[in-house]
Amino acid sequence: MAKTRELKRRIHSVEKTRQITKTMEMIATSRLKRTQDRVVAARPYAAALAEVIGTLYDPRLEEQFPLLRYPVGDPKRVALVLITSNRGLCGSFNANLIRMARDRIAELEARGVEVELRGVGRKGIGYFKYMGRSFAEERLDIGDRPTPEHAAELVEPLMRRFEEGELDAVEVVFARFDNPVSTPPTLLRLLPIARPEGGQTVNYILRPSPQEIVRTILPLYVRNGMYRALVESAASENGARRTAMKNATDSAGDMIDVLRRNYNRARQSQITQELAEIVGGAEALKG
Amino acid sequence: MRITVLSPEQSVYEGDANAVVAPAYDGQVGILPRHAPFVTLLGDGVLTIRDSEGTHAFRVRGGFLQVGDDTVKVVAEHAETAGEEDAA
Repeated sequence: MAKTRELKRRIHSVEKTRQITKTMEMIATSRLKRTQDRVVAARPYAAALAEVIGTLYDPRLEEQFPLLRYPVGDPKRVALVLITSNRGLCGSFNANLIRMARDRIAELEARGVEVELRGVGRKGIGYFKYMGRSFAEERLDIGDRPTPEHAAELVEPLMRRFEEGELDAVEVVFARFDNPVSTPPTLLRLLPIARPEGGQTVNYILRPSPQEIVRTILPLYVRNGMYRALVESAASENGARRTAMKNATDSAGDMIDVLRRNYNRARQSQITQELAEIVGGAEALKG
Repeated sequence: MRITVLSPEQSVYEGDANAVVAPAYDGQVGILPRHAPFVTLLGDGVLTIRDSEGTHAFRVRGGFLQVGDDTVKVVAEHAETAGEEDAA
């Protein structure tokens, strides 16, 4: 008797949980759609910027522009921006990002580099604070609708300090969005800017001057790199959450099946036992 | 000629055009079909695109304009469809 009641209670509880995870899965799916659209919509701009920089790039520019500076020798001070989500329940999404950041920090510090940690998203910040690291910057307000302005706020001060030689590199750990189920943690080097592949040689009329154009476009390029990292992370988060919630819903279903089978078995054996007792009692009275 | 207007967040406009007037850093530039390859920085102002149906206006700021292969690419830091008063 007590066993069937207990089983019934558990079935009920797992059903409630399944209802919640199912709902969360649907919410994640709709957010995924929206954030994924933003990833796709951001691509043409990024491609156009990369193309023009490839066309205008000239190794001689490196001496003129601090943003194209390549630090001589070992870097001394590196800023690492870690992008995680504000909320959990998305499987190993944040854990993977945190692990990558942790390994990268260890690698840099083993080479004697001073790492300046900057955090976007509550989860990563929470972990490293617990581990006793401090953050040079903490952003919790970006969420899953990052804008180019957010990216500019994050990267603008870093660009300035890179130009002044205070920082030797700026790196970002984020979740690249390949597709909703593949969102590998990725290390992106924002600065110094990777040397572009040789663009095609179209003879453009350039106004005001190639130097002026490069001077204006390089910061846009860096800012856009950060924007894309934010947008891709937002989409990846929702993809990871959808997968996690789908798995949770499926597991709850499996668990309910098992519990229900046990419940039926217990109920049946209870009835059998009661019948046996009644029959036994009647036989005894007859005796 | 083809024209695309891009902002960091999205592709704002794509289509064919007969004439484009864009706010360059030092004043308006007009682009007609078969323009020579050209890159210039953008200023702040209204971009007008004329096609066979009429004109489209966009507020743009920053970024650059690239002409090549009979295609105009307006790659602006900010770009949005302009209201009626801007189109005038």
